[in-house]
Amino acid sequence: MTQMTYDLAVIGGGIQGASVALFAAREGMRVVLFDQGALARQASGTNAGTLTMQMTRAALIPYALRAHEMWVKAPEWLGHDVGVVACDGLSLAFTEAEEEILSQRAEARSAAGAPIRLVSPQEAAGIEPGVNPAIRMASHCSVDGYANAYLTGLAYRRALAEAGVELREYTPVSGVSPSGRGYDIRSDGGGVAARQVVLAGGVWIEPMLKWLGIDLPIKTLINQLAVTERAAPVMRTVLGIASGLLSLKQYPHGTVVIGGGWQGVGDRASGTHRATAASAVGNARLAVHAIPALRHSRIVRIWTGFEAETADALPAVGPVPGHPGAWVIGSVHSGYTSAPYMARCLTQAILGQTPEMPLFPIDRLLPGQGPINERDRT
Amino acid sequence: MNGSHDVIVVGAGPAGGEAALAVSGAGLRVALIDEGPAPGGQVWRAPRTAQAQVAAARDADGRQGQALRARLQEASVDLLAGAEVWDAGPGFVVQCLTEQGNRELQAPRLILATGAMERVLPFAGWTIPGVFGLAAATAIMKAEKTLPGKEIVIAGQGPLLIAVAAKALELGLRPRAIVDRAGRGDWLRAAPGFAALPMMLTRGAQWMARLAAARVPILRQSAIVAAGGDPVLDGVTVRHLPSGRQTEISADTLYIGNGLTPADELHRLLGAAQTRDRLRGGYRTEVDADQRTSVPGLYAAGDGAGVHGALPSVFQGQIAGLAAARDHGALSAEAFAEQSRPARRRLARARRFADASCRLMAFPEEDLAHMPPDCVVCRCEDVRRSDIDAAVAGGAADMNQLKHFTRLGMGPCQGRMCGLNAAGLLSPGGDLRFTPRAPVRPVSMDRLIGEFDYSDIPVPKPAPL
Repeated sequence: MTQMTYDLAVIGGGIQGASVALFAAREGMRVVLFDQGALARQASGTNAGTLTMQMTRAALIPYALRAHEMWVKAPEWLGHDVGVVACDGLSLAFTEAEEEILSQRAEARSAAGAPIRLVSPQEAAGIEPGVNPAIRMASHCSVDGYANAYLTGLAYRRALAEAGVELREYTPVSGVSPSGRGYDIRSDGGGVAARQVVLAGGVWIEPMLKWLGIDLPIKTLINQLAVTERAAPVMRTVLGIASGLLSLKQYPHGTVVIGGGWQGVGDRASGTHRATAASAVGNARLAVHAIPALRHSRIVRIWTGFEAETADALPAVGPVPGHPGAWVIGSVHSGYTSAPYMARCLTQAILGQTPEMPLFPIDRLLPGQGPINERDRT
Repeated sequence: MNGSHDVIVVGAGPAGGEAALAVSGAGLRVALIDEGPAPGGQVWRAPRTAQAQVAAARDADGRQGQALRARLQEASVDLLAGAEVWDAGPGFVVQCLTEQGNRELQAPRLILATGAMERVLPFAGWTIPGVFGLAAATAIMKAEKTLPGKEIVIAGQGPLLIAVAAKALELGLRPRAIVDRAGRGDWLRAAPGFAALPMMLTRGAQWMARLAAARVPILRQSAIVAAGGDPVLDGVTVRHLPSGRQTEISADTLYIGNGLTPADELHRLLGAAQTRDRLRGGYRTEVDADQRTSVPGLYAAGDGAGVHGALPSVFQGQIAGLAAARDHGALSAEAFAEQSRPARRRLARARRFADASCRLMAFPEEDLAHMPPDCVVCRCEDVRRSDIDAAVAGGAADMNQLKHFTRLGMGPCQGRMCGLNAAGLLSPGGDLRFTPRAPVRPVSMDRLIGEFDYSDIPVPKPAPL
């Protein structure tokens, strides 16, 4: 069924898969990239684009710092603009309980290398004049910023084409199986053979891993976001709150994106998701509480997107146990921020090199079962 | 208003008003929501000034609007006027913004009667101040009994051209020209359909006679290809389509409309099946003979489900209301058949009239390809035809990608003005609509969140550290 053998087949054209495909092709591999829809149209195109340390898990800070550096230099390695702006970040505490969370989290992230320090309300107001003066404390991070997530697909499309990656959009893959010389990838438009394969399907890495007999439960979060119409400047930082349930920034063209992980409803099986009014109202209240001037703006769009999470909320990045040449990348908490660097590390492993930083192999999440190999393969 | 309802009706125009009356007549509890200050919708818009009230009493549409408002007042219908519906979810849960803040209404049945909005085929200069919609002209005249402009040109398609021009004359405003895409032959072909409703035909003939007496020039088979002026409109270029001959007309105000399209954001948000249908304004929502959509419990009537015009909307609204009552168990099969029979009979006749009108108003899709490269398509985000062509060449195959590549449709109109026009420039076959999203209208943050205490915000548990 297959005529030509690729060095690498990547399944999933989100930012993780597209980055691996890009880096591998630039190292001379012959790469094919599949997506069930268009490039970066799921989580990678619909997330808030925040490039922050203050919502990143402490264990991932070293990765996120390196990724942040990559994002700022995107024109150099990606070659195309995703509207990255580097700026200050503030996380706010309005209550005593939040002060406690904030101090604890700032300390842990700071210990992991993030340039975060606690500041007084006065100092915070100097950094962000738009902030609600009722704050009790803030943590400041000098490494923060945001990208324009919706530009991800366009930027990667151009970069992938230049790198010679064969792009197969709107081509759902129905299965992957070992062939002895690598893997056979089955899809609507016929199959391909590849020496190595990367499963990068976001929330769909769970069904993808099942193709290889691996049972890795992936929790599906349905993150909800909102954006205002263009407005005069009301803020200049990336803003959050101690619990991490607010992310707020104003883009250069004037729109303010409101997020923080408030949940919509939906399910992975049908691929559908929708916003809820309760989350919209709660999230908007939090936003206005942080930046009071936002009360006078209008929301023009509310949307949702999937986020994948493993049982320990740490990434699934590494080899597929029992299947040499098969790899998985996904469930990277704050995945958009860290994606380029995670992908760089995984690509190094695919090329047979030692990754700059350790991967996150999924064996830890497969208690007692180990590789299942031939069992229940579809 | 508080408490539950059996049926919610969104839109209090001819379709929604009648639907609510039918539901209420069957003894069910019904809520009727409209964004306007009073029921009537666009065509039966409530007059706002004393002058407009006097005029409405002498006008057929005005009298029908007054009658509807009077009937609604007497009926036991919970009317929520001045309320903007911004979301509807399964169940059905409807969110609307009122003067008192956000309100949530819930009912097992929902009738959407959301009306239509105007389409304009973009041309060079269509965003210059002084260019208005044709339907907007009727709205201003009905509410205020006035029309902006001194040197006005009326352009576009369909019976609205004649109606607006004649009403402008009544205001003492003689249009410099009527620019009609259609030719005499197109109108003649429409005549048998118009004859299905003799009263409407007579009214149209009277308007035409008045325009002829005032010697208002009608430029047939012609279209506006450019508008100029800085900072405001000072003239338009008219092209005679068969010959390509162009003429300039000085004007300070242009009223232009190329037909209507359903305001179907809620239909799409709730997942009602739709079909492409040029005659009905681009897409129509699929309904059965009783106005049921593909979504159980969801009904659609009036122009929001597919453009037919005001009169068919009345009868569709009656049928939808009765069907909802029937499905809710408030009407027997016999009573339903009996009560809906007159509406069905009159709907069939009104449809012949409507179809003739809709044919004249069908949007000239094929002309989208002739838009000049620097012509603005998305006015909110200043996206031009050349930007769209570049995005398509760069791989944008569907509307969501086009939006991501260019910001088209991301502004306050949410793609309502530009969406279908941009879709016409995309290669056919792809998904030619944006993913439907709430809010279906921009929502004021202030009204959405109301007054609150920080401690009352149900903040979910912190993300893992």
